[in-house]
Formats: sequence, C-alpha cells, structure tokens
Amino acid sequence: MTEAATQEDTSTEEVFGLADPWVTIVWNDPVNLMSYVSYVFESYFGYPEAKARTLMLQVHHEGRAVVSTGPKERMEVDVQAMHGFGLWATMQQSDAPGAAGEGA
Amino acid sequence: MTPFRSTPAGYVATWEPVEREVLARVARDVADLLSADSGLPEDAAESAEVAFTGVARVPRDPAVQRLLPDAHREDEEVAAEFRHLTQTDLAAGKVARLRGFAETVDPSVEPVTDPGDGDQVLVERDGAQDFAAALTDVRLVLAERLGLDDDGDVERLHDEVMSGLMSEDEDEDEDEDGDDGDPDEASGFDAEQRVYWGGVFVAAGFAQESLMDELLADLRARRGTD
Repeated sequence: MTEAATQEDTSTEEVFGLADPWVTIVWNDPVNLMSYVSYVFESYFGYPEAKARTLMLQVHHEGRAVVSTGPKERMEVDVQAMHGFGLWATMQQSDAPGAAGEGA
Repeated sequence: MTPFRSTPAGYVATWEPVEREVLARVARDVADLLSADSGLPEDAAESAEVAFTGVARVPRDPAVQRLLPDAHREDEEVAAEFRHLTQTDLAAGKVARLRGFAETVDPSVEPVTDPGDGDQVLVERDGAQDFAAALTDVRLVLAERLGLDDDGDVERLHDEVMSGLMSEDEDEDEDEDGDDGDPDEASGFDAEQRVYWGGVFVAAGFAQESLMDELLADLRARRGTD
C-alpha cells in the first residue's frame, strides 16, 4: 500500500508538472452515452471509477474536460485513441487561452 | 430488441431479423462513406499496416468530419500534421470495426437456427469494445443526418420515436397538419424518413447502453481483483 501510494504521488507530479505543456480535451456531444464515456476513461486511461465519473460529468455539464496532460507526442496518442472511440477530442498547449478556463 | 446480458459465451441479446438487417446495412453504409471520404486506399481496410504516403485530406462530409475531427481548434498546422499521421489508421480501424459489426449482426451471415429462440446476437468478450465503438460511429453519423446538435434534440427525437411506436397500431395518421411531406428543416429528411432513421438511432442507442452496462460491470470486477 505504502509503495503504491508513493508511486502514485511521483507519477502525479510528473503528469501535472510544469514540464508538460500540452493537454488532451474531450468535448461534449449529444450522442455519446455517459456509460460509454465512463468506460473509455476507465479502460483507456485506467482512471479509477470516481475520477472517470467526475471527468465524464464535467464533459457533460461544462462542455469539456482536460482528460490527460503531457508532452505533445503523448497527447497525439491520446487524441488518436479518443477519436478511435468516437469521442470528440482536441489537444492544445496547456498555457494557451482556454486550456483551463472558458471555451473557444 | 432485448438488452445485452452477460453470459459465459459473451454478451447476448435478441434482435428481430429486421433490426439485424437494418443495423448491418447502415454499418456497411457508414464504412463505405468513411472509406471513400477519408481517401482510404482501396485495400487499406484489409492491410491497415500498409505504408501511406499521400496527404490525408479533410473529409467533405460533415458526418465523416465528426468521425475524424480536427485535433486542434485553432492551430491548423497541428491539425493537418495530426491528420497526416493518423487519419489512414483511424479510418481503416473504424471501417474494419464497422464491417465486423455488420458480420456479427447480419442475419444472412448468422442465420436463425431456432426461430423459437428469436435472433440471438452474440458479442464475444474480446470483440465487445469494437462492437460498442462501431455502434458509436453509426450513431454519430445518424445524429448528423438527423440534425441532432444538442441534448434537447436527442430527447425530442426519443419522444417522437416513442410516440410514433405507440400510435403505429392505431393507424390514424390523418395528415392533420398537412405538412407531412415537408423535409425536416435541420436534417433534409422528410417526416417518414426522420421517424425511420430516428428509430434506428434509438435502437442502436438502446443496444449500446445495455452493452455498456455489462462491459462496465465486467471491467470494474476485473480491475477490482487486480
């Protein structure tokens, strides 16, 4: 347990650290089912059920959510995977206007 | 159409022959549309690893654009580079998945063996994610054709389809407002086509919803024991 917790802390710092200038954003659409979006977030990203649900609801209610953060090449992989699942995803630099605030 | 249920063999539902025919056909139509409009080489679906040297073009059809969207909202260069790197693989994967879906549900491929049991659609566990994703692509294309832009549009369509099913038995469609033949403003479908394709959209959503319930339960059970 202790080891796992430590590992998680480290990887969280890596994933959300300042050296990671890009984000993957999933946008709301009226077609994809909430259960399907949860499934994608849990199975592809490996997020726990609660985190996947929070992100899914953020997409649904706020119109979008940042679902992953990392180098541009990594975000290309994530966006491609999201498009494969039929989710509407884009990437952008995390300090670009709109990455964390209001939409375009 | 009954909901998918988890069984030892996989996920099983009962679909009427007409439901199987229509969903197989629409999946093949979406595969053909996607293949043509994404500029996929003829045999790319069979050999997805084929080297692709051309420049991927932006699809013209708005429904295909939704299946292969821009990866960046402002930076055209990033979007174009992404499209160049990924479009052939993405489109070929989707086309193969849609054709696999059609094979699984097509009654002429999987004929009814025992009419008393109805038409059993068996989705094997390994193929369930692809099956669900194919349903997503079908629903995304139908939604574009039906002009479903927001949650309210989808809710209204559900109500229309459900009330259409209720009144079907009464058969008293008397053309009361006199505009039955008018094409729907948003979609270009006339009223009859809208009810038909709306019914397909709703049925595909029902199938997917029940499959996702089972898939999510199995995924969580598996992760819980890791």
